[in-house]
Amino acid sequence: MIKVENLKKTYEGHVPVHALKGVSFEIPQGQFVSIMGPSGSGKSTLLHQLALLDTPSSGQILLDNIDISKLPDNKRADFRLKYLGYVFQEYALISELNAIENTFLPLMLLGTRRKEYLRASTELMLKVGLGERLHHFISQLSGGEQQRVAIARALVNKSKILFADEPCANLDTENKGIVLRLLRQLCDQLGQTILMVTHEPEQREFTDRVIWLRDGLIEKDELIKEDTRDHALHDSYRTLKSAPQL
Amino acid sequence: MLNDLQAAFFLVYKYITRGNKGTLILTIIVTTLAFVQINIISGILSGAVNLIWVQTKSNYVANIVVQPGKDQWGKKEEYIKQVSLLKRKIDAIPGVEGCSSRYTTGAIIEYDPDKTGRDIRTISWSVKSINPTEEVRISDLHNFMVAGEYLDESDRDQIMMGREITGGFGASLEVQSLKGAKVGDEVTVFYHNGVVRKYTIKGIYATVFPLADMTVFVTQKEMESVLGIRERASEILIKTDEAYPEEYYIQELRKAGVELQDIRPWQDFIGLVLGIAQSFDIIKRIILFIGLIVAGVTIFIVIFIATTSRRKQIGIMKAIGMKESIIIMSYMLLALFYATVGIGVGITIIEFIVRPYFLAHPLSFPMGKVSLFIVKSEFVTSIISLIIVSLIAGLIPSWRVARENIIRAIWG
Repeated sequence: MIKVENLKKTYEGHVPVHALKGVSFEIPQGQFVSIMGPSGSGKSTLLHQLALLDTPSSGQILLDNIDISKLPDNKRADFRLKYLGYVFQEYALISELNAIENTFLPLMLLGTRRKEYLRASTELMLKVGLGERLHHFISQLSGGEQQRVAIARALVNKSKILFADEPCANLDTENKGIVLRLLRQLCDQLGQTILMVTHEPEQREFTDRVIWLRDGLIEKDELIKEDTRDHALHDSYRTLKSAPQL
Repeated sequence: MLNDLQAAFFLVYKYITRGNKGTLILTIIVTTLAFVQINIISGILSGAVNLIWVQTKSNYVANIVVQPGKDQWGKKEEYIKQVSLLKRKIDAIPGVEGCSSRYTTGAIIEYDPDKTGRDIRTISWSVKSINPTEEVRISDLHNFMVAGEYLDESDRDQIMMGREITGGFGASLEVQSLKGAKVGDEVTVFYHNGVVRKYTIKGIYATVFPLADMTVFVTQKEMESVLGIRERASEILIKTDEAYPEEYYIQELRKAGVELQDIRPWQDFIGLVLGIAQSFDIIKRIILFIGLIVAGVTIFIVIFIATTSRRKQIGIMKAIGMKESIIIMSYMLLALFYATVGIGVGITIIEFIVRPYFLAHPLSFPMGKVSLFIVKSEFVTSIISLIIVSLIAGLIPSWRVARENIIRAIWG
C-alpha cells in the first residue's frame, strides 16, 4: 500500500513555484489509478515525487509504512531498481540494446544470474506480445512495441508499483488500446499497483480510480464503475487488429 | 561492486559493437597516431642522445677518467704518478673491462703539403699519447680507420689523426683543420716544451663524432721520449661493464686506493653536448605532453558528445535504478578501450613498421647515423600516461552528465 501525506513540492527560483501544495491519499495494493488534471496542475510533479525521481519539499510517502521520501540519494537508485517500475511518455529505451536486453537490464543491475534474467525477461516479452521481437533493435520496433518493451522492463524486477507518465501520448489509437489493455490486465491478473498520469479523459475509464489535481491540490478523488471499465475494454478490443494476452 | 562492473562492461560492449563505427575507428586512429607520434619523436631524440653517449664512451673518454689530483699545497699536479700500480688496482675492480693511460700536451702542428713553404697550414692543438694494446680495451677508434692504419706500440715517427684535424673525409670543422692532410704525408709537431718532431701520418680515423675526431695521437713511448718522463700519465681512461652507474665504480675506485686523484664520469667531459641532450629531454616532454593532450582532448570530445547526446538516455538509466557510478564507469571503460586499442595498434606500427624502417634508413645527424631508440621507461610512461589521460577524459564528461538531476536530464 502507498500512502501520501501532505506532500508539497516547491520549485525554488526568482519566483517560487508551488507545484504541490499538500496532497494526501492512499492507494491499496493492486489498484490502477489515473492522475488527471489540466496542464500545470502538478500531476507529473506528483508522479516524479512518488517514483523517487525528485525530492519533495515536505510531506511523507509511505510504501508499506516505510517513509521513502527521505531516502538518501545513494539509496534512492537502489530502491527504484528493486521496488519501482517506470514507463515514460516517450519510448525511453536504450538504443544500443535490443528489445530483450532493454528488458533484462534491471535484473542484470540487481545481480540476477544470466540464465534467470534471460528466462524472466523472455517470459515478460511473451506476455506483452513481443515474443517474435526479442532480438529486434529499438529502431526496428513501432511506437507501441517500444512502449510494451518499456512496460516489460518496468515489470521485470517484480516492482511493487508501476508508474506510467502519459504512456500513450505518442501512440496511435490501436497502440493506445494495446498499451491500456495491457496495463489493465497487469492490474487484474497480476495484482500490479499502477499509477498513470494522463490528460486524455477516455483513458481514465481503463482505471479503477481517478485522482483529479488542480493547482497542486486534489480536486476530486473518483472511483470508476466496473461496467464503465468493461465498456472501455470492450471498445478497445474492437479497434485492435491483434492484441497481446497476459 | 561486481554487478556494477558487469553492467558497465555490458554497456561498453554494446556501445562499441552497436555504436557508430566511424567514430570508433576515427577515435582509435587519433589515439594511435598520438601514441606513435610521441614514441617516434621521443625515439629519434633518444636515438640521437644515445648515440652521443655511446660515441662519448666508446671513442672519446670511456666511462671514467682519472686525472691528477692536488699536491700538498693544493695545487693541481701535472701528472698522475705510479701509473702501473694504479692501473693494476683499477683492473682488479670487478666490472672494470680495461683501463688505458694517456699523456696530453699542447702542440702546434704544421703541415706543408707541397713542401715548398708557400702553403704551410698550422693548427694549435693538444696531442695525446696512447698505448695501442691497452687502448683497444677501452676505445673503438681502431674500428673507425678511414685511411691508413692504427698505431702500433713500437711506432715512434708515426702519428694518427682524426678527420677533423686532417680535414677531408666529410669533416665538419674544415676551418680549423690541416685542410686535406693524407696518410703518408709528413707533419711537424712543435711541442710546448720546445721539442720538435716530424711524423708521418699513419692513419686517419672518423667516428663521425666531432669531439672524438678532433684528436691527434702518438704512441706512449714516443710521448715519454718527448716529455722525458716515464710511469706517469695525464689521464687514465676506464671502461666499465656498465652494470652499475659510473658513481658506483668511482666509489669502488676510491675504496681500491685511487684516492689522491681526481675521478670524473664521462658526463663531465661533454658539457656542451649534455646541454643539447637536456634540451632534447625537454623537447621529449613537450612532445609527450602535446601528444597526450591531443589524445586526451579527442577522447574527451568523443565521450562528451556521446554523453551529451545520450543525456536523456542516461537520465532514463538512472530512473530505472542504475547507479551513477555504473554510468561513469561505462564511459571510463569506453575511453580506456579507445586508449588501449590505440596503444595496441601503435605498438604494432612501431614494432613492425617504424622500427624496421629506421633500422634500414637511419637519419643522418652530425654525430652519426641515428636510428629509433625507444627507452623502455619512456615507452612505459607514454602508455601509462595515455591510459591515465583517457580515464580522465572519460571521467569528466560522464561524471558531469551522470550527476545531473534525473528530471532535467530526461525532460530538459
